Amino acid sequence: MSNTALFEHFDRHAGGVDLKGGSTHYCPGCGHGLAHKFIGEAIVDLGIEDRTVMVSPVGCAVFLFYYFDTANTQAAHGRAPAVALGHKLAHPESIVISYQGDGDLASIGLAEIIHAAQLGMPISVIFINNTIYGMTGGQMAPTTLMGQPSTTAPQGRTAMQGQPMKVAEMIAGLEGVVYVERTALFDQRNRKKTQKAIKKAIRLQMEGRGFSMVEIISECPVHWKMTPEESEEHVKNVVVEAFPLGVVKDEEREPWIAPRVPKFDADSMVSALGATEEKPPRFCSEFPSHLDPVDIAIKFAGAGGDGAQTAAILLTQAAINEGFDSTDIPSYGPESRGGTSYADVHVAKDEGLSPAAPTPHVLLAFNAPSLEKFASSVAENGIVIYDTSVISAPPDFPVGVKAYGVPCGDVAVKLGNKVVKNIVALGALQEATQLLTDESILTVLRSVLRRKPNLIEINEKAYAEGVRHVRESEPSIV
Amino acid sequence: MVKYSAITLDRQLCKSCGRCVASCHKQAIAIGLEVNQRSGMIPYEIDYELCNHCGLCMSACPEPWAITEGGHDLENPAARVRPAKPAGIQARRIPLPDLEPLVLKGNHASAVGALLAGCRHVFGYPITPSTEGAELLASLLPELEGVFLQSCSEIATVNHMYGAGGAGVPTMTFTSSPGFTLMLEGISYMVGAEVPGVFINVMRPGPGLGYIGPEQSDIKLCARGLGHGNTHAIVLAPSSPQEMLDLTMLAFELSFKYRNPVIVAADGYLGQITGRVTLPAEMIQPGLPGWAVRGDAEHKNNLNSSILQDWVELEKHNEHISGKYRAMERDEQLSSEFHTDGAETLIVACNIPARMAKAAVETLRREGHRIGLFQPLTIWPFPIDALAKLLVHINHILVVEASDGQLENELRLALNKAEIEGTRFDHLRHMGGILPDDAEIVRKMHSIMGIYA
Ligand SMILES: Cc1ncc(C[n+]2csc(CCOP(=O)(O)OP(=O)(O)O)c2C)c(N)n1
Ligand code: SF4
Ligand code: SF4
Ligand code: SF4
Repeated sequence: MSNTALFEHFDRHAGGVDLKGGSTHYCPGCGHGLAHKFIGEAIVDLGIEDRTVMVSPVGCAVFLFYYFDTANTQAAHGRAPAVALGHKLAHPESIVISYQGDGDLASIGLAEIIHAAQLGMPISVIFINNTIYGMTGGQMAPTTLMGQPSTTAPQGRTAMQGQPMKVAEMIAGLEGVVYVERTALFDQRNRKKTQKAIKKAIRLQMEGRGFSMVEIISECPVHWKMTPEESEEHVKNVVVEAFPLGVVKDEEREPWIAPRVPKFDADSMVSALGATEEKPPRFCSEFPSHLDPVDIAIKFAGAGGDGAQTAAILLTQAAINEGFDSTDIPSYGPESRGGTSYADVHVAKDEGLSPAAPTPHVLLAFNAPSLEKFASSVAENGIVIYDTSVISAPPDFPVGVKAYGVPCGDVAVKLGNKVVKNIVALGALQEATQLLTDESILTVLRSVLRRKPNLIEINEKAYAEGVRHVRESEPSIV
Repeated sequence: MVKYSAITLDRQLCKSCGRCVASCHKQAIAIGLEVNQRSGMIPYEIDYELCNHCGLCMSACPEPWAITEGGHDLENPAARVRPAKPAGIQARRIPLPDLEPLVLKGNHASAVGALLAGCRHVFGYPITPSTEGAELLASLLPELEGVFLQSCSEIATVNHMYGAGGAGVPTMTFTSSPGFTLMLEGISYMVGAEVPGVFINVMRPGPGLGYIGPEQSDIKLCARGLGHGNTHAIVLAPSSPQEMLDLTMLAFELSFKYRNPVIVAADGYLGQITGRVTLPAEMIQPGLPGWAVRGDAEHKNNLNSSILQDWVELEKHNEHISGKYRAMERDEQLSSEFHTDGAETLIVACNIPARMAKAAVETLRREGHRIGLFQPLTIWPFPIDALAKLLVHINHILVVEASDGQLENELRLALNKAEIEGTRFDHLRHMGGILPDDAEIVRKMHSIMGIYA
């Protein structure tokens, strides 16, 4: 039994041919190999070879999956923590280890790591800080030291390129994080600490406690232009000055994630959807072809808060319950907040087609600007209902249009709740158009209010008042 | 200090870095004298006179197999045996009772379709006019023990999907054009690594921030621009809340069938429009694909990756993926027709403009004009086979769309590839959130017929 989760033979490394089957693609003396070994040992020590998903970054460690005898995913540059979260949520029993370099994690992927850390989902991040971009040939990283030359700051990093980013400290400041330690690889004592830290970070995930990260100061002899020995000395004497080693955060936290077993039974689904086998009652005997032989367009227009959208959706639902086709398209987005609020409804015999109502058969206007805007578009012989509580002088209507002025707002206020003015209007609309039946609409209204039964009475009264006003008034006909 | 039986430094695998030297308190390690012929390096050597088998050098060496206890057998055939991929568990169809139709807005219909297709892992970032889909799922998923995660950006969203989809579960998002643009990198990775996932793109006008109305602004992006590389995905184009549900369900099926993302390209109107939605007779309980990168013993050997260092291998991989595209082109074309019988002119339109076009065709037929509608339900692959049959008798097309000719470009490319010539084109286009209305389409046909009478 091997004491590491690394493959005994690296088949994925150039087909495992010749020495590739036994050696890594890393440069001599590179710290990545040590980090791999320590993770491999921790996985076996913790007994999670079968449960582990390793997430490879973009960077020199992009080929991490050549070496780990675990499940593997290779992520886009900087996105490893987001990918790791996807794995963890899809299968919470898995142990997900995201492995990233300093360009990957601290530059392009900063948003992903910060939000993963803040979220605190138990995943383990191994962060290799070698103060440089290795893979692409020695460019400056967010962690490059002041004065350190790189191919993109050849004279050395100056204030113009900003200060090196202290990632461990930054991550430790986030709520979801239970453990952060910065370690190094330059001597036996520090390697031991790294081994322990890696194991602890993974163990905390196994216990479901939260997000953990180990920042490992790692050598890149090639792009530091040093020998491996000089690189170790450089970490020991220089790098740790900028990036102090040690535990940055180690917090007690109770396990907080309960694994979920998604439900796939029909009962749960039907209940979640609020669907029913029960047929809604029907009250209409035939399609209201007196308005149009096949497709009736109704426009609701007002200001946000007038209840135009609710009225429109109630009518749509009622028409569908009657077995007609119906659509409702609201004006949407920021324009519907506080400003104007329109909705176009179609009630069709078989199939509603164009959902817009550029020339509506019926217009319901809650305020003067809306009436002004749409009055001239109403179809010949169409019907208009407008709220006389706020509209004193209606504009001219096209030939044959029947216009009903109904004090919807005033009626609602008298009833004790001004929000029911849209229901007054709906009653008026039904009475004026004979589109459906009163019961068609009232049934939907009651069903919508079934969880607020104390509101049913006032809504029914409002509806009846709308009906009465139209019944008792004479429309003006152009 | 742990003592080992025998510490071996492998001369072939030593990369000659020298990091082991300082770790040895016995000063037992030093660089050797000759170049190893296989590695081309000068390996270090242990002086066994001095070595006390403490093993410290092992944990100083970056190479996994250069210093080991008792040596490493590079040629051990047993080390190369990998477990076979598990067979995978098939998805199951679960019957639903005979339910009354729901009244749903398009975004909600699509969300319900996702639930019925077995999706319990949803990721998203808010953007009008798509957000209601995610909002509904956020409210319903807890009841079904599913997960909705609002991510920090669309970039994170697509990468959550890459992870969850890669673990073998059905996963999806709702977005709209500016957000979809940000997902393209991730979609390219999903195509490359063969990870399924469903994207509902409720398209809105651009360029840039544009605004929130309906437009078919991303037909080009969906059909031709899914990030870098040779990428394609099936692009479904609904035109009603009912189709939002039906095509979303189909999207999941196709996504797993081909191990490839699928895009449902809706428009802003479709997201917002409320209508009657009939529920299917069956819902889906997802299976578990054998390729899933899951974190369990069975799937341990699996890998999701889009990187292949060997150019020949990478070409082969591209050819494999292209093979899937050819199969999609052959087997997954979808379209619907309205009054195409005996038609002399075809209107081609999809998404909401297809409804306006249908209304216009009704009017024109009533007037006695022989006009029909051809509605692609897949934009990619373009349903050229069905169209080609119609074009045997028809040589005039009016393309009605809410974009600067993006649908017409797909159509023309498909005709060109199918070597169909001699079709005369007219078009009616709107942008910015304005849709072609039915009266306008009728007027356009009248004027065309006047010209070509
Ligand atoms: C989107 C994107 N941008 C840029 C690159 C190029 N690139 C590959 S690796 C890398 C830097 C990696 O540096 P780091 O994360 O520090 O890892 P190291 O190689 O040092 O281990 C860059 C910029 C890429 N692959 N993808
Ligand atoms: S370039 Fe640097 S980080 Fe990359 S493998 Fe070489 S030494 Fe390691
Ligand atoms: S096992 Fe110990 S004593 Fe022997 S070479 Fe290695 S470090 Fe030196
Ligand atoms: S540390 Fe490993 S690779 Fe480096 S010289 Fe020693 S044995 Fe060779």
